[in-house]
Parts: sequence; structure tokens; C-alpha cells
Amino acid sequence: MELDWTTFTLEILNFLVLVWVLKRLLYKPILKVIAERKAEIQKTLTDAESLRKEAQALRDQYENRQVEWTRAKETARNQMVEEVNAEKVRLLAELQTSLEQDRAKARVLEQRRLTDLTRQAEDAAIAQAGQFAARLLTRLASTELEAKLVEVMLEDLRLIPDERRQAIRIACVKCEVPAIVTSAYPLSQSQRQSLLEALQSLLDRSVSCEWREDQDLVAGIRLSFGPWMLGANLQDELKAFSETARSVSATHAS
Amino acid sequence: MRGVETAGTMLQMRPLHITPSVVTTWGIMLALVFFSWAVGRRLRREPGPLQAALEGAMGAIDDAIRAVLPDHVERILPFIATLWIFILLANLTGLIPGLQAPTSDLSVTAALAVLVFLSVHWFGISIEGITQYLRHYLTPSPLLLPFHIISEISRTLTLAVRLFGNMMSLEMAALLVVMVAGFLAPIPLLMLHIVEALIQAYIFGMLALIYLAGAIQTRALHSPSEKG
Repeated sequence: MELDWTTFTLEILNFLVLVWVLKRLLYKPILKVIAERKAEIQKTLTDAESLRKEAQALRDQYENRQVEWTRAKETARNQMVEEVNAEKVRLLAELQTSLEQDRAKARVLEQRRLTDLTRQAEDAAIAQAGQFAARLLTRLASTELEAKLVEVMLEDLRLIPDERRQAIRIACVKCEVPAIVTSAYPLSQSQRQSLLEALQSLLDRSVSCEWREDQDLVAGIRLSFGPWMLGANLQDELKAFSETARSVSATHAS
Repeated sequence: MRGVETAGTMLQMRPLHITPSVVTTWGIMLALVFFSWAVGRRLRREPGPLQAALEGAMGAIDDAIRAVLPDHVERILPFIATLWIFILLANLTGLIPGLQAPTSDLSVTAALAVLVFLSVHWFGISIEGITQYLRHYLTPSPLLLPFHIISEISRTLTLAVRLFGNMMSLEMAALLVVMVAGFLAPIPLLMLHIVEALIQAYIFGMLALIYLAGAIQTRALHSPSEKG
């Protein structure tokens, strides 16, 4: 229990020496290592924070790009829809035009077909009318009818105007062959004489005639001299009737 | 003094006589110095188990001091840490057969208490300034100066006597139990010795830290009243 001053003094010195030694050999190195580690950790944390910020920036950038991409996609989609709609409208218009053209073409074809049918019907009607008239006139054909037609011929020869007479004379001036007179029935002598005189009066010179008979004329006569020919018979009249009716029908159709 | 020479002197070099406590202290110092030197050479960024334990202990000491004196950790830490380490090892040497814990010697504990007493004034004056430091003895009233002085002496005395009394009584109790009950009976008492060694070291170091904080933070403690 007593206090030993030597021990007391030495313990004070020992403790001070121990403090100094431990400070140099133990505390400082350990605290230095801890401080370095803390600094390293702090640096790592700082780097991590900077990396996190960079990652955040990249993420923001990516999100912005995604938004821009979405917007561009939406714009492109709208544009595409507009183009599709415009193309649809254009194709519909083209289709409408094509349909109109087809309809017009069909109308034209139908009209043409109707015209053809009408023409065929008219031709058939004309043919039937001609045949009907031919059958009727064939049944009415007789020497009396032919005598009347000879008179018509003589009347026509007399009524030819002077200019026409002059032209016929010029055309037949070098014609040396006899005039051919074709009749459906045999002509009487008086009828032949009247026809010869009327023909010589027309040509103003002497002319010989060759008298022929042709049952196809049905009734009446046909007079031909060189290039000039004059008819007063049912066959030629029916033929002229058919041609006239056909030309009138063609004029109406066009 | 004569009794001390006959009972505890190991080496007599007049006028000095070296007691077992001093020799044990030297042994502890040598062990600590060698250990510190060996460990200090092998410190790495990636710590091993021993380095991790040491860093953990140093971190705990640093945290304890920082909690009380956050602005003066670097200046205070060597003194307080050495107190804790030395007293702990000195207390535990009593467990080694044939050795006596230096802290069961009143001269050793008195030396440590006087060191604490002196360090309180040393750190207080060096950090606060002598005028500011001495002024706190006169506050809140100069009439309290005697009580301040008595408080300084008494707390130093209690530091020395508390550690000495606890360790000496513990060793004496262990000796009596061994003498009475046999060889294996005092094992629980030895476990108690370890716990007591830790607790006494912690109490001594913590009280020293609090005394230091009281001396260093006088300006902070008194500045509000001065301003008022």
C-alpha cells in the first residue's frame, strides 16, 4: 500500500515513452491505412457517383431519344396514313374514271349493237318490202302494164332537157353498135316504131335497134345504147327502191 | 519504504530499486513495441484477420474519443488509447501465474492518475490558453476555487485508488480462493478477472477522457454565460 517513488517515477516515464512509441509504431500507421482506405472508398464512391451520373445522363439521353423516336415514328405513321389515304383516293378516282370510261364504252358498244340491230332490222324490212313489192308487182305484171311502162319510157325520152340531150348525143356520137331494147314481154310493132323514133329524135341521127326479151324485168323495158342506158321496168325500179331505202337508213344511223 | 524494498525489490541500483511492477511494465512495453513494430511493417490495404481486429479496435477508440471531443481526436487519441491498452494488458498480466498485475501496485496507479491530472492541465492550457483555462476555476464564482482544487485532487486520488483497490482485491480474492478451495475452483474467478480487467481499463480511460474534455471545453461551456 505504500507509495514507491522510484516505481512512481519510472512508471510515469515508462508510460510517456510508451505513448511516444505506440504513436509512432502503431497508431499512426494504422490510422494512416484507415485514412487511405477511407480516401480510396471515398474515391470509389465519387467515381461510382460520377458513373451513376453518367449512367443517369445516358439514361436521360436514351429516354429522350426514345421519345424522339416515338415522335418520329408517330409522324412517319401519320404521313404514311396520309399517303395511303391520298393513294386510296387517287386509285378510287382512277377506278371511277376507268369505270366511267368502261360504262361509256359499254354504252357506245350497246348503242352500236342497237344500231346494227336496227340496221339489220331495217335491211331485213327493206328486203322483205322489196320482196313483197316484187311478188306483188310480179303478180300484177302483164302486157298492159308493160304498155303503160313503154309510154312512161316514151314520156321520159321526150322530157329529157336539151343540155342532157346534147350530152347524150356527144357521148354516143361514135357508137356504131345498134341500140339494145330489152322487154319482159314481146313488143308490138307500133311500140317498137314509137321507141325507135323517140330514140332517133333524142340522138338526132338514124339508129338501128336490137330487140330482146328478159323475164327478169317483170314488166317494162330497158334501153341501152353504148355507155348510155335508160330503164322503165319493175326490176330496176325495185332495185332503185331498195338502194334508196338502204342509203336513207345508213344516213339515219350515222 | 523499507518494507517495499524487502518485499518487492527485484533489482537494487542505488539510489533506484526496481520493483516487479516496473519490470512487468517493461515487459508489457517490450511486447507492445515489438508487436507494434511487427504489425506496422505488415499493414496492407487488404487487411488480414489481425489487422482487421486492430483497425476495429482503433476505430472503436477513435469513435469513443470523437463522440466526446470531435475537434481534438488526433491530439488526444495517443494518450487515451495508450491508457486503455496499457491498463488492459497490465490488468490481464495478473492472470499469468507468477506475475503480479502492475495495476495492483498503488505506485503504478498513482503514476497513471498523476499523468491524467497533468495531461488534463497540459491539454487544457495548450488548447484553451492559460488565462482561459485558469479562468474556469473562478467561474461561476471565485468562492468555488477551493472546491475546484479539492475536486481536482480528489478525482485524481479516486482514479488511482479505484484501479489499485479493484485489481489488488481481485488478486487477493483469487489467492484466497486458491488457498481455500484448491486448484480448479478459482476458474470462474479468473473469468471475472478478465471482465474486471476490461471494465477497469475502460472506466479509467473513459474518466480520463471526460476529465480532458472538461478541461478542453471550458470555453464552450462558459461562453454562453460570458456572452450573456
